[in-house]
Amino acid sequence: MLLLSHWLGTTVLLGYFKLRVGPKLSSTCHPWDTVIKAAMRKYPNPMNPCVVGVDVVDRNLDPQGRLHSQRLLCTEWGLPSLVRAILGTNRTLTYIKEHSVVDPIEKKMVLCSTNISLTNLVSVDERLVYTPHPENPEETVLTQEAIITVKGVSLSSYLEGLMASTISSNARKGWDAIEWIIQNSESTVS
Amino acid sequence: MNSVGEECTDMKREYDQCFNRWFAEKFLKGECSGDPCTELFRRYRDCVQKAIKDKDIPVDGVDFMGPSKSKTESDGSS
Repeated sequence: MLLLSHWLGTTVLLGYFKLRVGPKLSSTCHPWDTVIKAAMRKYPNPMNPCVVGVDVVDRNLDPQGRLHSQRLLCTEWGLPSLVRAILGTNRTLTYIKEHSVVDPIEKKMVLCSTNISLTNLVSVDERLVYTPHPENPEETVLTQEAIITVKGVSLSSYLEGLMASTISSNARKGWDAIEWIIQNSESTVS
Repeated sequence: MNSVGEECTDMKREYDQCFNRWFAEKFLKGECSGDPCTELFRRYRDCVQKAIKDKDIPVDGVDFMGPSKSKTESDGSS
Protein backbone atom coordinates (compact mmCIF):
# COMPACT_ATOMS: atom_id res chain seq x y z
CA MET A 1 0.00 0.00 0.00
CA LEU A 2 1.26 3.42 -0.88
CA LEU A 3 0.49 6.64 0.95
CA LEU A 4 -0.37 9.22 -1.68
CA SER A 5 -1.51 12.39 -0.02
CA HIS A 6 -3.47 14.03 2.67
CA TRP A 7 -6.48 15.69 1.15
CA LEU A 8 -9.30 17.40 2.96
CA GLY A 9 -8.34 15.55 6.12
CA THR A 10 -8.76 12.19 4.46
CA THR A 11 -5.77 9.96 3.92
CA VAL A 12 -5.80 8.71 0.35
CA LEU A 13 -4.07 5.38 -0.16
CA LEU A 14 -3.45 3.24 -3.17
CA GLY A 15 -3.67 -0.52 -3.09
CA TYR A 16 -5.95 -3.25 -1.80
CA PHE A 17 -7.27 -3.36 1.70
CA LYS A 18 -9.06 -6.25 3.23
CA LEU A 19 -11.05 -6.11 6.39
CA ARG A 20 -12.67 -9.07 8.07
CA VAL A 21 -15.60 -8.62 10.38
CA GLY A 22 -16.68 -11.49 12.61
CA PRO A 23 -17.70 -14.20 12.90
CA LYS A 24 -20.08 -12.62 15.36
CA LEU A 25 -22.77 -14.55 17.14
CA SER A 26 -26.04 -13.14 18.40
CA SER A 27 -29.42 -14.61 19.26
CA THR A 28 -33.08 -13.74 19.46
CA CYS A 29 -35.96 -15.13 21.51
CA HIS A 30 -37.99 -16.46 18.59
CA PRO A 31 -38.00 -20.01 17.22
CA TRP A 32 -36.16 -20.69 13.98
CA ASP A 33 -39.30 -21.09 11.82
CA THR A 34 -40.63 -17.68 12.88
CA VAL A 35 -37.27 -16.03 12.21
CA ILE A 36 -36.88 -17.64 8.77
CA LYS A 37 -40.38 -16.62 7.68
CA ALA A 38 -39.53 -13.05 8.67
CA ALA A 39 -36.05 -13.23 7.08
CA MET A 40 -37.54 -14.28 3.73
CA ARG A 41 -39.83 -11.26 3.69
CA LYS A 42 -37.53 -8.85 5.49
CA TYR A 43 -37.98 -5.91 3.11
CA PRO A 44 -39.42 -3.32 3.37
CA ASN A 45 -38.73 -2.50 7.01
CA PRO A 46 -38.03 0.81 8.76
CA MET A 47 -34.53 -0.33 9.85
CA ASN A 48 -33.29 -0.67 6.24
CA PRO A 49 -34.79 2.33 4.44
CA CYS A 50 -31.91 2.23 1.93
CA VAL A 51 -33.28 -0.99 0.36
CA VAL A 52 -35.60 0.35 -2.34
CA GLY A 53 -36.13 -2.72 -4.51
CA VAL A 54 -35.99 -6.50 -4.10
CA ASP A 55 -36.46 -9.09 -6.82
CA VAL A 56 -36.21 -12.86 -6.94
CA VAL A 57 -34.21 -13.67 -10.06
CA ASP A 58 -34.10 -17.42 -9.58
CA ARG A 59 -35.51 -19.94 -7.15
CA ASN A 60 -35.43 -23.73 -7.05
CA LEU A 61 -35.48 -26.80 -4.83
CA ASP A 62 -32.36 -28.98 -4.88
CA PRO A 63 -32.45 -32.82 -4.63
CA GLN A 64 -31.93 -32.54 -0.84
CA GLY A 65 -35.14 -30.51 -0.56
CA ARG A 66 -33.34 -27.22 0.18
CA LEU A 67 -34.75 -24.02 -1.27
CA HIS A 68 -32.25 -21.84 -3.16
CA SER A 69 -33.21 -18.23 -3.86
CA GLN A 70 -31.20 -15.72 -5.83
CA ARG A 71 -32.32 -12.18 -5.17
CA LEU A 72 -31.35 -8.80 -6.49
CA LEU A 73 -31.47 -5.93 -3.99
CA CYS A 74 -31.41 -2.32 -5.04
CA THR A 75 -30.10 0.04 -2.37
CA GLU A 76 -29.87 3.79 -2.25
CA TRP A 77 -26.75 4.90 -0.41
CA GLY A 78 -26.77 8.01 1.68
CA LEU A 79 -23.20 8.96 0.82
CA PRO A 80 -22.29 12.57 1.50
CA SER A 81 -21.73 14.60 -1.66
CA LEU A 82 -18.04 15.06 -0.81
CA VAL A 83 -17.51 11.30 -0.80
CA ARG A 84 -19.47 10.94 -4.02
CA ALA A 85 -17.18 13.55 -5.57
CA ILE A 86 -14.05 11.74 -4.37
CA LEU A 87 -15.34 8.40 -5.63
CA GLY A 88 -16.12 10.11 -8.90
CA THR A 89 -19.62 8.72 -9.08
CA ASN A 90 -23.04 10.18 -8.88
CA ARG A 91 -24.55 6.75 -8.79
CA THR A 92 -26.11 6.28 -5.44
CA LEU A 93 -28.07 3.22 -6.53
CA THR A 94 -26.08 0.12 -5.67
CA TYR A 95 -27.13 -3.40 -6.56
CA ILE A 96 -26.53 -6.37 -4.33
CA LYS A 97 -26.91 -10.02 -5.25
CA GLU A 98 -27.99 -12.42 -2.55
CA HIS A 99 -28.08 -16.23 -2.52
CA SER A 100 -29.96 -17.95 0.28
CA VAL A 101 -30.35 -21.64 1.04
CA VAL A 102 -33.05 -22.79 3.43
CA ASP A 103 -32.83 -26.35 4.73
CA PRO A 104 -36.13 -27.14 6.51
CA ILE A 105 -34.90 -30.55 7.75
CA GLU A 106 -31.58 -29.45 9.23
CA LYS A 107 -33.17 -26.11 10.21
CA LYS A 108 -30.47 -23.94 8.75
CA MET A 109 -30.56 -20.86 6.57
CA VAL A 110 -27.38 -19.56 4.90
CA LEU A 111 -27.46 -16.20 3.18
CA CYS A 112 -24.52 -14.84 1.18
CA SER A 113 -24.53 -11.42 -0.39
CA THR A 114 -22.15 -9.35 -2.45
CA ASN A 115 -22.39 -5.98 -4.18
CA ILE A 116 -22.43 -6.02 -7.97
CA SER A 117 -22.09 -2.28 -8.50
CA LEU A 118 -19.09 -0.15 -7.56
CA THR A 119 -17.06 -3.38 -7.55
CA ASN A 120 -14.06 -1.51 -8.93
CA LEU A 121 -14.02 0.42 -5.64
CA VAL A 122 -15.23 -1.87 -2.95
CA SER A 123 -16.52 -5.40 -2.39
CA VAL A 124 -18.57 -6.35 0.60
CA ASP A 125 -19.10 -10.11 0.92
CA GLU A 126 -21.36 -11.00 3.77
CA ARG A 127 -22.45 -14.41 5.08
CA LEU A 128 -25.25 -14.94 7.57
CA VAL A 129 -26.26 -18.28 9.07
CA TYR A 130 -29.45 -18.75 11.07
CA THR A 131 -29.73 -21.91 13.21
CA PRO A 132 -31.81 -22.90 16.24
CA HIS A 133 -30.04 -22.33 19.56
CA PRO A 134 -28.36 -25.67 20.40
CA GLU A 135 -29.69 -25.64 23.97
CA ASN A 136 -32.93 -23.74 23.59
CA PRO A 137 -35.09 -24.44 20.51
CA GLU A 138 -37.18 -21.37 21.29
CA GLU A 139 -34.19 -19.19 20.39
CA THR A 140 -32.37 -18.62 17.09
CA VAL A 141 -28.67 -17.92 16.66
CA LEU A 142 -27.28 -15.71 13.90
CA THR A 143 -23.63 -16.04 12.87
CA GLN A 144 -22.44 -13.11 10.80
CA GLU A 145 -19.20 -12.73 8.85
CA ALA A 146 -18.11 -10.16 6.31
CA ILE A 147 -15.09 -9.45 4.16
CA ILE A 148 -14.67 -5.90 2.92
CA THR A 149 -12.16 -5.32 0.14
CA VAL A 150 -11.39 -1.76 -0.83
CA LYS A 151 -9.66 -1.52 -4.20
CA GLY A 152 -7.64 1.15 -5.89
CA VAL A 153 -8.02 4.37 -4.00
CA SER A 154 -8.85 3.94 -0.38
CA LEU A 155 -10.31 6.67 1.77
CA SER A 156 -8.79 5.12 4.82
CA SER A 157 -10.19 7.43 7.42
CA TYR A 158 -13.68 7.32 6.03
CA LEU A 159 -14.75 4.50 3.82
CA GLU A 160 -13.47 1.42 5.64
CA GLY A 161 -14.62 2.86 8.93
CA LEU A 162 -18.04 3.51 7.46
CA MET A 163 -18.21 0.01 6.03
CA ALA A 164 -16.99 -1.72 9.18
CA SER A 165 -19.34 0.19 11.44
CA THR A 166 -22.21 -0.38 9.02
CA ILE A 167 -21.54 -4.13 8.97
CA SER A 168 -21.16 -4.25 12.75
CA SER A 169 -24.38 -2.38 13.37
CA ASN A 170 -26.16 -4.57 10.83
CA ALA A 171 -26.34 -7.53 13.20
CA ARG A 172 -28.43 -5.54 15.68
CA LYS A 173 -30.31 -3.80 12.88
CA GLY A 174 -30.99 -7.19 11.26
CA TRP A 175 -32.58 -8.52 14.43
CA ASP A 176 -34.56 -5.29 14.87
CA ALA A 177 -35.86 -5.65 11.32
CA ILE A 178 -36.81 -9.31 11.82
CA GLU A 179 -38.51 -8.43 15.11
CA TRP A 180 -40.43 -5.67 13.31
CA ILE A 181 -41.55 -8.08 10.57
CA ILE A 182 -42.64 -10.67 13.16
CA GLN A 183 -44.63 -8.07 15.10
CA ASN A 184 -46.18 -6.58 11.98
CA SER A 185 -47.06 -9.71 10.06
CA GLU A 186 -48.82 -11.85 12.68
CA SER A 187 -52.21 -10.59 11.61
CA THR A 188 -51.60 -11.06 7.89
CA VAL A 189 -51.65 -14.40 6.13
CA SER A 190 -49.08 -13.76 3.43
CA MET B 1 -41.44 -3.48 -1.75
CA ASN B 2 -40.96 -2.55 -5.37
CA SER B 3 -39.31 -4.42 -8.20
CA VAL B 4 -36.28 -2.93 -10.00
CA GLY B 5 -38.61 -2.81 -13.00
CA GLU B 6 -41.57 -0.60 -12.11
CA GLU B 7 -43.73 -2.49 -14.56
CA CYS B 8 -42.99 -5.77 -12.70
CA THR B 9 -44.07 -4.62 -9.23
CA ASP B 10 -47.66 -5.91 -9.46
CA MET B 11 -46.44 -9.31 -10.71
CA LYS B 12 -43.86 -9.38 -7.93
CA ARG B 13 -46.48 -8.72 -5.24
CA GLU B 14 -48.77 -11.40 -6.60
CA TYR B 15 -45.92 -13.90 -6.71
CA ASP B 16 -44.57 -12.92 -3.25
CA GLN B 17 -47.99 -13.45 -1.72
CA CYS B 18 -48.27 -16.90 -3.27
CA PHE B 19 -44.70 -17.83 -2.35
CA ASN B 20 -44.86 -16.60 1.26
CA ARG B 21 -47.98 -18.67 1.88
CA TRP B 22 -46.43 -21.84 0.40
CA PHE B 23 -43.13 -21.22 2.23
CA ALA B 24 -44.78 -20.77 5.65
CA GLU B 25 -47.57 -23.31 5.37
CA LYS B 26 -45.95 -26.11 3.38
CA PHE B 27 -42.19 -25.84 2.89
CA LEU B 28 -41.11 -25.03 6.45
CA LYS B 29 -43.44 -27.75 7.75
CA GLY B 30 -41.58 -30.29 5.64
CA GLU B 31 -44.41 -30.84 3.14
CA CYS B 32 -42.45 -31.01 -0.05
CA SER B 33 -45.38 -30.74 -2.39
CA GLY B 34 -44.36 -28.81 -5.47
CA ASP B 35 -44.25 -25.02 -5.43
CA PRO B 36 -47.70 -23.91 -6.70
CA CYS B 37 -46.40 -20.47 -7.71
CA THR B 38 -44.21 -21.48 -10.66
CA GLU B 39 -46.48 -19.95 -13.30
CA LEU B 40 -46.66 -16.61 -11.44
CA PHE B 41 -42.89 -16.77 -10.96
CA ARG B 42 -42.18 -17.39 -14.63
CA ARG B 43 -44.22 -14.36 -15.64
CA TYR B 44 -42.61 -12.15 -12.97
CA ARG B 45 -39.08 -13.40 -13.71
CA ASP B 46 -39.43 -12.71 -17.43
CA CYS B 47 -40.44 -9.15 -16.61
CA VAL B 48 -37.51 -8.67 -14.18
CA GLN B 49 -34.99 -10.13 -16.60
CA LYS B 50 -36.09 -7.65 -19.22
CA ALA B 51 -35.79 -4.78 -16.70
CA ILE B 52 -32.29 -5.98 -15.68
CA LYS B 53 -31.27 -5.99 -19.33
CA ASP B 54 -32.80 -2.57 -20.03
CA LYS B 55 -31.14 -1.01 -16.99
CA ASP B 56 -27.85 -2.76 -17.71
CA ILE B 57 -27.53 -4.22 -14.20
CA PRO B 58 -24.45 -6.50 -14.20
CA VAL B 59 -26.01 -9.58 -12.60
CA ASP B 60 -24.31 -12.19 -14.78
CA GLY B 61 -21.15 -13.97 -13.81
CA VAL B 62 -21.40 -13.26 -10.12
CA ASP B 63 -20.69 -16.40 -8.16
CA PHE B 64 -21.87 -15.64 -4.74
CA MET B 65 -21.68 -18.67 -2.56
CA GLY B 66 -18.07 -17.61 -2.20
CA PRO B 67 -15.70 -14.96 -3.49
CA SER B 68 -15.98 -14.50 -7.22
CA LYS B 69 -13.09 -15.34 -9.51
CA SER B 70 -12.12 -11.74 -10.10
CA LYS B 71 -12.22 -11.09 -6.38
CA THR B 72 -9.98 -14.11 -5.76
CA GLU B 73 -7.51 -12.81 -8.30
CA SER B 74 -7.42 -9.41 -6.65
CA ASP B 75 -6.67 -11.09 -3.31
CA GLY B 76 -3.22 -11.95 -4.58
CA SER B 77 -2.16 -8.34 -4.75
CA SER B 78 -3.34 -7.31 -1.31
